[in-house]
Amino acid sequence: MRWFWPLTILPLVATLPCRAQAPAVFASNAKPPFSDRVVNYQIDATLDVSRKTLDGVETLTYRNLTGKPQDTFPFHLYLNAFQPKATFMREVRRDHPSFEWKEKNRASADVVMFEAEGMGDLTNQIQFISPDDANADDRTVFQVKLPEPVPPGQSVQFKIGFRDHFGEVFARTGYKRDFIMGAQWFPKVGVWWQGAWNCHQFHADTEFFADFGTFDVRLTVPQNEVVGASGVEVSSVNHANGTKSLTFHGEDIHDFAWTVEPEFHVFEDYFDGSAGKVKIRLLMQPGHVDQAARHMRIMMETMKRFDEWYGPYPYAQITVVDPPHGALRAGGMEYPTLITADTAWWMPEGLRFVEVVTEHEFGHQYWYGMVATNEFEDAWLDEGINSYTEAKVLDDIFGKDKSVLDLWGATIGEDALQRDGYLGSAEDDPMTRFAYQYMNSSSYGNITYGKTATVLLTLEKIVGEDTMRRALHTYFMRYRFAHPAKEDFLKTLEEVSGKNLRWYFDQAVYGTNILDYEILRASSDRTDWYLKKPPEEKKGVTPYHTMVLVHRKGDFIFPVDVVVKFDDGETLREQWDGRDRWVRYSYDKKAKLVSAELDPEHAVWLDKNFFNNSCMKEQSSGWRMKLAAYWQIVAQFVAQWLAWLA
Amino acid sequence: MSEQRGVLAEGARRVWRYQRALWWWFTVNFVLAMFSAMPLSLRLEKVAGHSAHTASLGVGFDMGAFLELSANPDAAFWSGTTGSALLALIFLVFSMFLTGGVLEAYRSPHKLTTGEFFHVCGEFFWRWVRLLIFLLIVITPICFLAYYISDWSGTLSDDAPQEKLGFWVDFAGFFLVLFLMMTVRVWFDIAQVRSIATGERAMRRTLVRAARLVFGNFASLFWLYFRISFLAWLGLAVTLWIWVKIPGEHSGLSALLLEVLLLWWIGTRLWQRASETVWFQRYADVAVITPEPAPLPEPELEPAGVPPSAG
Repeated sequence: MRWFWPLTILPLVATLPCRAQAPAVFASNAKPPFSDRVVNYQIDATLDVSRKTLDGVETLTYRNLTGKPQDTFPFHLYLNAFQPKATFMREVRRDHPSFEWKEKNRASADVVMFEAEGMGDLTNQIQFISPDDANADDRTVFQVKLPEPVPPGQSVQFKIGFRDHFGEVFARTGYKRDFIMGAQWFPKVGVWWQGAWNCHQFHADTEFFADFGTFDVRLTVPQNEVVGASGVEVSSVNHANGTKSLTFHGEDIHDFAWTVEPEFHVFEDYFDGSAGKVKIRLLMQPGHVDQAARHMRIMMETMKRFDEWYGPYPYAQITVVDPPHGALRAGGMEYPTLITADTAWWMPEGLRFVEVVTEHEFGHQYWYGMVATNEFEDAWLDEGINSYTEAKVLDDIFGKDKSVLDLWGATIGEDALQRDGYLGSAEDDPMTRFAYQYMNSSSYGNITYGKTATVLLTLEKIVGEDTMRRALHTYFMRYRFAHPAKEDFLKTLEEVSGKNLRWYFDQAVYGTNILDYEILRASSDRTDWYLKKPPEEKKGVTPYHTMVLVHRKGDFIFPVDVVVKFDDGETLREQWDGRDRWVRYSYDKKAKLVSAELDPEHAVWLDKNFFNNSCMKEQSSGWRMKLAAYWQIVAQFVAQWLAWLA
Repeated sequence: MSEQRGVLAEGARRVWRYQRALWWWFTVNFVLAMFSAMPLSLRLEKVAGHSAHTASLGVGFDMGAFLELSANPDAAFWSGTTGSALLALIFLVFSMFLTGGVLEAYRSPHKLTTGEFFHVCGEFFWRWVRLLIFLLIVITPICFLAYYISDWSGTLSDDAPQEKLGFWVDFAGFFLVLFLMMTVRVWFDIAQVRSIATGERAMRRTLVRAARLVFGNFASLFWLYFRISFLAWLGLAVTLWIWVKIPGEHSGLSALLLEVLLLWWIGTRLWQRASETVWFQRYADVAVITPEPAPLPEPELEPAGVPPSAG
């Protein structure tokens, strides 16, 4: 198969001059280059839409900025994860024992030729490795040992011929009918990070990590296809055989994804941000055209807030892809300058699924796209921070208590939803666990997304919401186009807040301790309780001894506020450092206790049980009667349905 | 049509006349469900009776608070499911027991005494148990069909080029299954009415004869059943439409409205029973119950010597 690459690379080179007049990659006020541009990928690929195969030639120029000679280079071949013996599928089966393999999901990526400039054909040197689990059947990572090392500061050029076979979408990439999502489709070199190559196998719960660089991708597809891709389109050439070649160019990005489908309806608008105008290109399914405005609206609102709060979006374009029905597993995913949303034809306005997903994926342009953390090892740094900012943005747009659901009287906000996720796996894993080492996929999701968001929401109580916003702005501006690690983020929070937060991070980020404070007892007792015939109780006259006992149930130590209210209208606010197991507050007053409440503002989102945070002397029974009544009505309905058999 | 309307009107009149059945049915339904809801209420009181966080559940419906509460192991929110299912089974048995008496009350031209009523209830209970077994046998393939349609529509929702095709298949499948279920119910209803009218003990024979009767008069009987069912569903739709408009804090009003709906549902079911009884009496009773041949009049012996006519 090596014969084809010299032929197919030529047209790509021929189109390069077109870029001089091509649309800009960055918004007008952005000042590139932003990154070290370790890699430069030039890929020429031809897609066979009927066979769902792709033949490509990749010319990768790698700059050795590792500071030492390198003679071994690892590469990802992610598509090989969609094979039954791959580690990815093993883990899916481990966490979902009823999962059954379907042959239509099989995908593969084969390297048919591997050359290094000046070193000849090294195809025979390709060796599959399994650094994470020693699974000899996993073919998602290979390495090549060069005959001679690449000196520090020098570059090496690889020419790699590869053939992809897409399976029906199982996760993120693949086809569904005429739709193809081309993600993780080309051999991608690992990252030299923290003094070693970082090139993990593809796991069920891991995402990606790659170096920044430039991408020139020429994609040849049938002329009837509508194409969306990372970067910007710089040329389009029709061929006599009914195909067309589209060339895309991207800079300071670390991955490249594309999608094709003849039925896409294209909508375009511009967001005017601090970096200049950004084109929003929306590729909608025909059946979802009526939701285009909804997608566009949330994109505009989200970009506005990210621009104001965290920093500019410097690229000239963002493409939003609406996958077709049956391909939702390709939805809700982020790639540099391209995201996939998720919706269905019936989605009501009050169910803000479209908004939640679209906002979340755009947020990844910041927390993953530009601040390119290692998603294998520090998944919480992208998914978690992104879930936190998702809550902030959506709460700001739709209101705190109904930013996710506001339908038929039922409401839920992002903060509560994230916390609910955290509560599902609160003690299972620390946030800092490698993504593929979590107890299971539920724990990965609940901790990485839910707990991180909840931890950061709770941190607002300590440092303040404005400080958190400034800290994230600083973190973004400082680490955009870089690969920060967990301590970079945590130290930025400490630096901007001016506080030593280590006590909090040790428990919340590195630990699994549970935070649960409760009002164990709260009561008022007459001081003349010992009298056999005490005088009649009189408001404002009778003296009482009031006691409030606050208890720390969990091992997580956190300062809490206690608000005590009396029936003369007086409100006292106590502050407890929470270090001891319990604290007792006593008052002698001519007033009776009305209520004692911990954290009345509900700022400590990490608290596992909000229901034991307060004690009101007057019982409220309306809510209880309501729930019981609904239970009863459902039970009556079920009984009536069953009685239909009589 | 006018005759049909007459059947419905007469059915409604008999339900109204014998309201006790409706209220008993509703009361037992209510009380049994209350037994399943009360433990939940007590557990919730224990867990959060004095909590200020419950305010968000009283006003509107805060899903976040609800999810937290339902996940609280002390609240054991879903532990009442088994108990509720058991109580629903008891309601089924109760309904089977009462059906004989109610059908007889609808059939009988005179008001039944309590003794007569319960006598018929007891007399027919085990026949209904046998009918239930036959009913389960008959509806099992329909359940399989429903499962198959659901599975097929799920596949179509993913794989068909038209996004809504799966939904429409599900939609059409729902009506197909509903039609089949209604048909079976009409058949078994008529079998019960017939059994009450004839006192027949052999349920298999009753079913065969009821089948002949139903399928010989399918249009009118199905139309009779369908119209009342439609009114029941319409009631449900209207109630839910009103219910979502009631502010969350008016939960008492919401509950009352839903209870009225449940009463309406029981009422419509009894209306179907009564109308089927009326229909049977008008159009099938004569054909089914062959009257005993009237005894021939005794020949009058003329006394000797008396003239044939006196004059």
